[in-house]
Amino acid sequence: MTPEVTVARSLDEALAALARDGAAAHVLAGGTDLMVELRTGRTRPERVVDVWKVGELRGVREENEGLRLGALSTCAELLRDSRVASHAPLLVAACREVGAEQIQARATLGGNLGTASPAADLNPALVALGARVRLRSRRGAREVAVDEFLCGYRKTLRERDELIESVLVPTRPAHERQLWRKVGTRRAQSISKLTVAVALAFEGACVSAVRAAAGSVGPRTLRLATLERELVGRPLSPALCRSAAAACARADITPIDDVRSTALYRRHAFARVLATLLAEPDGVPACPPS
Amino acid sequence: MSARDLHGPGAPWGGAEPGARSNSDFKVVGQPRPKVDGIAKATGAAVYTDDLTFPGMLHAKTLRSPHAHARIVRIDTSKARALKGVHAVLTGDSMPIKYGVIPWTPDENALAVDKVRFIGDPVAAVAAIDEDTANAALKLIEVEYELLHTYLDPFESLQRKEPQIHEDKKGGNISKSVQLEFGKVEEALAGAEVVVEDDYFFHGSTHAPIEPHCAVATYSADGVLTLWSATQITHYVHRALARVLELPAHRIRVIQPCLGGAFGGKSDPFSLEFCVSKLAMVTGRPVKMLWTREEVFYAHRGRHPMHLHYRSGVTKDGKLVGVDAKILIDGGSYSSFGLVTTYYSGQLLTGPYHFPTYRFDSTRVFTNKPPCGPKRGHGSVQPRFAFEVQLDQLAEKLALDPIEIRRRNFQGDFTRTVNGQRVTSNGFLQCLDEVESASRWKERRGKLGFGRGLGVAGSMYISGTNYPVYPNDMPQAGVQLKVDRSGLVTVFTGGNDIGQGSNSMCAYIVAEELGIPVERVRVVAADTDLCPVDLGAYSSRVTFMVGNATIDAARKLREKLVAAVAEKWECAPARVRLIEGLAIDLEDTARSMTSVEAFQLAETKFDTLGSTGSYNTPKLGGDYRGGTIGASPAYSFTAHVVDASVDVETGRITVHDVWVAHDCGRALNPMIVAGQMEGSAYMGLAEALFEEHDVNRFGLHRGPSLLDYRLPTSLDTPDFHARIVESIDPEGPYGAKEAGEGPLHPSLPALSNAVYDAVGIRLKHLPFTPAKVLAALREKRAAASVPQGVR
Ligand SMILES: Cc1cc2nc3c(=O)[nH]c(=O)nc-3n(C[C@H](O)[C@H](O)[C@H](O)COP(=O)(O)OP(=O)(O)OC[C@H]3O[C@@H](n4cnc5c(N)ncnc54)[C@H](O)[C@@H]3O)c2cc1C
Repeated sequence: MTPEVTVARSLDEALAALARDGAAAHVLAGGTDLMVELRTGRTRPERVVDVWKVGELRGVREENEGLRLGALSTCAELLRDSRVASHAPLLVAACREVGAEQIQARATLGGNLGTASPAADLNPALVALGARVRLRSRRGAREVAVDEFLCGYRKTLRERDELIESVLVPTRPAHERQLWRKVGTRRAQSISKLTVAVALAFEGACVSAVRAAAGSVGPRTLRLATLERELVGRPLSPALCRSAAAACARADITPIDDVRSTALYRRHAFARVLATLLAEPDGVPACPPS
Repeated sequence: MSARDLHGPGAPWGGAEPGARSNSDFKVVGQPRPKVDGIAKATGAAVYTDDLTFPGMLHAKTLRSPHAHARIVRIDTSKARALKGVHAVLTGDSMPIKYGVIPWTPDENALAVDKVRFIGDPVAAVAAIDEDTANAALKLIEVEYELLHTYLDPFESLQRKEPQIHEDKKGGNISKSVQLEFGKVEEALAGAEVVVEDDYFFHGSTHAPIEPHCAVATYSADGVLTLWSATQITHYVHRALARVLELPAHRIRVIQPCLGGAFGGKSDPFSLEFCVSKLAMVTGRPVKMLWTREEVFYAHRGRHPMHLHYRSGVTKDGKLVGVDAKILIDGGSYSSFGLVTTYYSGQLLTGPYHFPTYRFDSTRVFTNKPPCGPKRGHGSVQPRFAFEVQLDQLAEKLALDPIEIRRRNFQGDFTRTVNGQRVTSNGFLQCLDEVESASRWKERRGKLGFGRGLGVAGSMYISGTNYPVYPNDMPQAGVQLKVDRSGLVTVFTGGNDIGQGSNSMCAYIVAEELGIPVERVRVVAADTDLCPVDLGAYSSRVTFMVGNATIDAARKLREKLVAAVAEKWECAPARVRLIEGLAIDLEDTARSMTSVEAFQLAETKFDTLGSTGSYNTPKLGGDYRGGTIGASPAYSFTAHVVDASVDVETGRITVHDVWVAHDCGRALNPMIVAGQMEGSAYMGLAEALFEEHDVNRFGLHRGPSLLDYRLPTSLDTPDFHARIVESIDPEGPYGAKEAGEGPLHPSLPALSNAVYDAVGIRLKHLPFTPAKVLAALREKRAAASVPQGVR
């Protein structure tokens, strides 16, 4: 009934435990998803490998290509880090709206990726930032774009013996605007009805590159390809914001009815929220929107 | 009415005028002060039911039905019984006697006997050495069900008679139906200048107290059953246990420990109370059951969903001529308080406005959902919502200010309602004045621009009723005082303190009457062995009734103290005043003694000191069947103004400020009264905007967790501005009336009315989800874009 718990003290110990136990083992980080799943019986692991004390998975480092965020980085840590604030304000904005303070103290980046819920808030931010996830096992390490890593409804490319080690957020281009908006059921402790994350780079007045992603409007964190196509190479006029948002809401998302909202509402609100967000001067609002 | 019932609203040592409105004659009453158990709660020292443990205690768990409506064909518990660590397994046949909080409608079993009626209905209970073992045993119980047609739509329950959810009930799936007419409504409406007719819907919501239900029982070798339970009505639980367990009531003791919130959700006798009792009797061990949050959602007894149809007419100057209501009430699977709910849905609407004629037709039906019951503002929040929105619709047609139409229809004080209820003090006009000026209504309403608006609504509520749930002429509330030679006075009261502060209220009154500090009063409450009967914490009756009983008891004790001191001083008793821990001579202020000395003198003179006091309602109510239901010795009145804005992009409503003015008679402790007002308004807005207690198409609860049942967080909570209005009721304790439920009512319609002011959409179907708001805005735009004269 109760799984056997291995408390790993180092990366080696954790990888060894995963290599040994394979499919029977589940990684435990902050536990804010896993504990809920154990309780509801959705997940019934025989073994649990607790990685909370593995120092190698913690911390933020600056590298040539960008910022490397340890998988155990909690929302609370990311919220306080000035490098993350200047590099990835989009991620900070997302972290601020995860659960509430108690959850933020335990909820990790690796856990958000590991669960791969379509309603996850950090994942759309990571996709819009073009982040790459580094996976490590005793067999070695590999890097995958977050967008590819999140491959289906609660599905990832992680092999059972792999650990999510870190996430690389590529260096922010100059003049990149980052936009974030979460519409939840209430202002804290709420699972998203929809989220949108957009990173826009400009050349002169024209949009030169776009990465955009959305949560809670499809089976997985969705990349908004239509929106990206519609915006690139054009100046961001109010009319374009509206038409691109509308096209995106038609083509890129597949919302459903659930306890938190309806498909109709999501599609409708999504288009409006996105249009307004694109037109916002500074993208990420200073305080959480209501 | 006997003398024990009425003490007048003045201070005990009143000034010249006994009915004085001023608070200045009081030493304790009327001042903001902490609750007597505040420190214990804030420091975690308070002992809640789940904090209790006993040597050898077993833990019990309940097996619940996975089907919404089914016959139980077979139950096999043998594997569960065989599991190591399991001490006993119970099924319905061990307690076949039905119960129900209303004695006329006993339709519940502690564990299902032959049928299950909703997903979550209790089927079996296991006591084991720990919760994990008990849970494991539940999985070993085999139950074979024969599925029956599931009723989820109340309209279907109204029409369809077979299968019956309760087979022994006459009349298909109707739980209760009441039709009453006062005056000739049709005639009145025919003569009205304007009639508005519309449909409204109030959804289900639940109490969500912080503390889940919990009960612990012990059964002593000499056959005494003791039950500690998180209940708000010890007395009815006591009676129900005696009935179901077939034990004489004198062998049962029920105690309510410190309670973590109830809001009506702990007013019924619950399955777990019978189960732990029976399990303790069977095993000879103490047994505890603590429900999970999920189980609390199944047990429910929350707000009834209601489909409401109203038709009201007014004269050209806005005076109501008649109101006609037809209400379909979705009761869920059991009766609970349903008989009362059905009456309340009609009976409690007849104030603060004068209805010359009134008719209501309310029907409660059974469905296969968690049973509904009383939630803060029992049965009257729903009709109030519909009517107060309709009143705004009427005002709009007449181009009258919404506050003005309410003023024009004010019924007045010391009057009688159309359905025969006696109204005493009535501060509603002042409530309207307060919220009008505080919100700067005149300057701001209709002038805040598209997207933001103000709305108003009013209401009235009972301070208890003269309808005890089982017929009897004994007092509704009793109190006993006992004095220690140290000067400590202990109050024994059957009243249930559920966080509303009733223990504090008793202590304040005794301190006031005996002129001693509050710290020298201890309150022992809600223990059936120790305390005189009180009917419990429901219908906002405790302050009014237990308060009066406490005054009654304290005055009797005071007389003895005064007599003993007067004898010692050889002076007239009128010269003796008990004040601030002293007895003083009013004419010779140099002469005094401590209250401890006074108590000892009195004990010497009179023998062991003590007193009892009680309260019963005067004869009240209309002279017709059901006329006493909703008849209250005093009514509270409330007005709200809500300031809200609507985000037209996401459909989200944000409430900025709520001004709450509430006439509570006299505020015995204004801090507690203000807390109740704010808490009530919070709860009302929570229902309007966030909370939804509903099932999916299988009858399964849609989100039985605090993540998906969305209580507003502090970030979602607006600023509340409580304005206490003190009308000083002639019969309330020192003039007090209720404050715990009334202030909830106007928040929902006031919000709907504010949204209308903000963006011009009438929200008539609760809850006001963003999806509904967007849809209404879309509809409004579509209607506006159709050119005049086209089609
Ligand atoms: C009350 C509440 C509110 C919440 N609100 C939000 C919200 O607003 N937004 C939101 O996005 N989420 C929310 N969540 C979900 C949760 O907090 C997040 O998904 C969080 O990021 C999970 O992180 P964790 O460390 O707690 O994960 P855990 O529960 O420890 O793990 C989650 C999953 O990831 C796997 N995993 C974790 N770390 C690794 C690793 N290093 N390598 C491999 N696999 C790993 C685990 O095996 C598990 O399957 C909420 C949860 C709760 C209980």
